[in-house]
Amino acid sequence: MEKKIIGILSGKGGVGKTSLAASLASLASEDSETKPIIIDCDVDAPNLSIILPFNSKDEINKKETFTSLKGIFIEDKCVHCKECIDNHFCEFNALKWDENNQIPILDYLACEGCNACKVLCPEHAFEIESVKSGEIISYESNLGIPLIYGKTRLGSTTSGKLVSDVKQYAQQLEEFNESNMILIDGPPGIGCPVISAISGLDYVITITEPTPSGLHDLIRVIEVIEHFNINFGIILNKADLKSNFQKQFKKFIKKTGYHLLGRINFDLSIPESISFAKPVVNHKPNSDASLAIKAIYYKLKKILWTNN
Amino acid sequence: MPKKPIIICVTGGKGGTGKTFVAVNLAIMFKNNGNEVLLIDGDVENPNTFLLMGAQLENKKEVPYFVPKIIEEKCNKCGLCAKNCVAHALLHIENSFPIPMLTVCTGCKLCYKICPEEAIEADSKVMGWIYNTQINNISLFIGELKPSEARSATIVEALMEDLDEIIRNEPEKFDIIILDTAPGAHCDVELLISKADIVIPVTEPTKFGEIDLTRIIELIDLIKKDYRTIVNRSSLLGFRDEFLKNLKENNIHILGDIPFDEDIVSSYCQGLPLMDQSNKFKHTKGYKAFQIIFKELDNWLKSKQIEITG
Repeated sequence: MEKKIIGILSGKGGVGKTSLAASLASLASEDSETKPIIIDCDVDAPNLSIILPFNSKDEINKKETFTSLKGIFIEDKCVHCKECIDNHFCEFNALKWDENNQIPILDYLACEGCNACKVLCPEHAFEIESVKSGEIISYESNLGIPLIYGKTRLGSTTSGKLVSDVKQYAQQLEEFNESNMILIDGPPGIGCPVISAISGLDYVITITEPTPSGLHDLIRVIEVIEHFNINFGIILNKADLKSNFQKQFKKFIKKTGYHLLGRINFDLSIPESISFAKPVVNHKPNSDASLAIKAIYYKLKKILWTNN
Repeated sequence: MPKKPIIICVTGGKGGTGKTFVAVNLAIMFKNNGNEVLLIDGDVENPNTFLLMGAQLENKKEVPYFVPKIIEEKCNKCGLCAKNCVAHALLHIENSFPIPMLTVCTGCKLCYKICPEEAIEADSKVMGWIYNTQINNISLFIGELKPSEARSATIVEALMEDLDEIIRNEPEKFDIIILDTAPGAHCDVELLISKADIVIPVTEPTKFGEIDLTRIIELIDLIKKDYRTIVNRSSLLGFRDEFLKNLKENNIHILGDIPFDEDIVSSYCQGLPLMDQSNKFKHTKGYKAFQIIFKELDNWLKSKQIEITG
């Protein structure tokens, strides 16, 4: 089978991306036709590794990334001219003036390492350095399939960049070349990390719940997916939620003609499986939620590999 | 001493724990208490406050963002701009004009500032919008990132400029300002936390909730702010006591908890806030939980010697 890269996105957070990703990975690991690998690109809150832990502690690969750039101020070179402030070198408000010492203060969190202070300072009193932005961890999970994830270093301001780094790292692995099904658990939102996660995908699974914010955020993430021209399907989680919003959701699907990939009714087996740190399809294989996810898995395979 | 508003930031790390739900209902409780309240929706990727409050998006203001525009008549093709752009947002091939790659441009304006021929003009594009509206006598500022744009921080910064202006020019206008953040622990969340007097992370009693809470608290500590946690849906799966005990053992400060309650789901789906004085949720478990939390919040502010006037 041809290699396919599948992303899982939602717009709204906490609607079930990671739980779904873990279950799809588990089903794929038992399927003789697929050779899956799974990548967690929610670098601010990488939780997939809790459900899919390593097989052996000795085989965890860890790589620190230094792709975040930050300015440093070299006080010895400063002649206190204040030009950096007066001429507004920094567009990110990372430079403030210390009246007592007559020197600039560089706000580390606000700095984007853009190079402007370094280039513009007539005394060359600024440098740019690479700092640790996070780490990339990879191992063979208990499902017997490779798992790769990234985790940001707090305050490094580079979530989107790290998502790209994680994907790039995964692409160099031998397992990636041999794999035919790459599952990517994406970050919430529609911003920089999501845009980094979307590039290069063959298909997007969007998951949401039948609430006003669930639909609002789904519409926004679909706008981004369509901007990048990628095929997608919608999964409605907590599909039987007692909500008078159900009608509006149905109307939305009917009006747009978007593809509804599946519905997962609310089922205690899901939060339960999370607290036992297992994919729900392993924890309670015959629960309503597990059966719904299995149906989604086969439908997904059909869409990806038979409609060419 | 001139009066200054109290700024409370509601955040959480994990998505879908109830940040917006808590922020909206705290805003309403302060309003019911007689305070002047401003709620700022800083989850600019997916702003939801107005949906929960049944408000309309009004008074739309564009948030512009710098993009370089090459004036070919002036450009001498030297390539200095491309050489100094660390974002690689200017592509320069020898003897040709530089080509801006707008998707990776960070807007630092360095190219515009250093071009010896003044051949780069400061053009702008729309990064998103800010709305300014009122609902039930609560002022609401909402930031919205334009879908397919990446730089959400620009919108959060614009919101914070509006906040700074209020504090500078009308410090007595509001008693309470509540900031609602995005999920995660990235720069947008950081910026909002850094503006606050106190921080309230909202979590849920699951393994994911706990791990993401630990991470957001690490960030709150890094920014040196005082926090107390709300555990939402605490009765889910019967782990409440164990979860709270576990947090306490890890020295995590707790403000209170809200049980899982179908009336909350119902209020959420109707855009009728739980704590609204006029509606039907007064006798629900969620309502009572919020009243306890509000009292605890008042005690906390008093212990920090912050007096809520009302």
